[in-house]
Amino acid sequence: MHIPDGYLSPQTYVPLYGASFVFWAVALRKFKDESAVKHIPYLAMAAAFSFLIQMFNIPIPGGTTGHAVGAGIAALLLGPWTAVIAVSVALIIQALVFGDGGITAIGANCFNMAVIMPFTSYWVFKLIKGNSSSVKRLYAAGFFAGYIGLSLSAIVTAVEFGIQPMIAADIDGKPLYAPYPLSVAVPVMALEHLLLFGIIEGVVTAMLLKYFLKHEPDAVYALRGSSK
Amino acid sequence: MYLIDSGISRLGKVIKASYIQREIASGKGLFHGLDARVKVLFLIFFVVIVSLKKEIMPEAAITFFVLAIAVLSRLDILSLYRKVFFFGFVFGFLIALPAALNVVTKGEVILPVLRFSKAYDFGIYHVPATIGITAEGVSTVVMLTLRVINSVSLSFLVLYTTPFADIIRALKVFKVPDAVLMIITLTYKYIFIFAKTIEDMHLAKKSRTAGGINNKEAREWIAGRIAFMFKKSRQRCEDVFNAMIARGFSDTVAIYGFKKMDKRDAAAGCVLFSAGIIFLWV
Repeated sequence: MHIPDGYLSPQTYVPLYGASFVFWAVALRKFKDESAVKHIPYLAMAAAFSFLIQMFNIPIPGGTTGHAVGAGIAALLLGPWTAVIAVSVALIIQALVFGDGGITAIGANCFNMAVIMPFTSYWVFKLIKGNSSSVKRLYAAGFFAGYIGLSLSAIVTAVEFGIQPMIAADIDGKPLYAPYPLSVAVPVMALEHLLLFGIIEGVVTAMLLKYFLKHEPDAVYALRGSSK
Repeated sequence: MYLIDSGISRLGKVIKASYIQREIASGKGLFHGLDARVKVLFLIFFVVIVSLKKEIMPEAAITFFVLAIAVLSRLDILSLYRKVFFFGFVFGFLIALPAALNVVTKGEVILPVLRFSKAYDFGIYHVPATIGITAEGVSTVVMLTLRVINSVSLSFLVLYTTPFADIIRALKVFKVPDAVLMIITLTYKYIFIFAKTIEDMHLAKKSRTAGGINNKEAREWIAGRIAFMFKKSRQRCEDVFNAMIARGFSDTVAIYGFKKMDKRDAAAGCVLFSAGIIFLWV
């Protein structure tokens, strides 16, 4: 899911930096009502948490293992706007220190994984949960929050790849950036995420939610009525 | 337990990466002594140039230029380029490889791979009678691989010659708010503190466990550790807030800037900027 440098043309990565910037600005403004010194450690801890979730390899029923992107569970536990900042900071550190994702692609990666995914996961959870307090329904909401959040994020990433041959090709039609057209990029990314990675994300999200509901239900932001 | 071990070994690599970065970045090579602002501007400028170049030769020239700076900076070239080529191979070559075929990149087939009796059409997909590697496809794969290699080597060059805190502080030249820079700096520190905590918890569990544990137990343990980490991070957040208040932090967060650039930094900045212009032009 982390887009490296070289795959997106400037006419794609510059607008995506702009789009992410808008969400960062709004997310930071959400904390303006609190004092700066109070929200800085909170957001830093949230970002460290978001980074470390990705380090856990979890055994999945059926024999496989995987790690979650974690933006879905971060949105459920911290709220979608906090997750925007937390996951973005984690992605920026991954790009700068670990070479995971490109520097020109930071805007795109943040837009896909720190904006699309937390908001989708959060609203899917709210939608499926409804007014029900049934535990099974909450687990199902957790699963689909992770599953749909990651799958949609992957499809948006695929569209960003797939439009490259259309918007950035030389005079002979040779693609200059990501070479796969929409007809290849979207089905490939969609299928692998709908059939495998999305399920892993869903299972991890539901599993963590289950633990929190059992031991610390007050810690789950998505079950509170706050607006941040 | 093996599954948990593999996760913990990833955490171990994170801690090791931080330690190595700190050790190497405090060396005394050509690039180490430069002002961090010059290096960060160089990184952003060159990463953009790499993304703008459309031909293989200028891209290859940038590869050698970065290699030359790494050699002059007395970095461990073998270790650095082992990592760079790993990223180039996985994220450049392997991902782009199918684009060498004429089913993706149109062009003259220079190496046939598969022949059918006739061409096939499946909806919007066309499978030609001869599937093979095209010259245009090879050029696309080489170009993407070089772009990934160049971008990663530029990042590592700056990372291994500049302490992380200085890199973040240098982002002030892009008018990034001090509060954001402080969030990134604190996050970076706490990632390693929490990673170490999790590693210690795992070792404690391992030393108390006789025999293996099944997948269900492993999942419960991992969920418990993530929840513990969440609780710990909230608690740590309160502690840090109290410590900041105790040390007199006001509502205004300000990160101190750098001292004035000396002539050496200015000269190096001019040389790097000129080199960038040349690469842009050729």
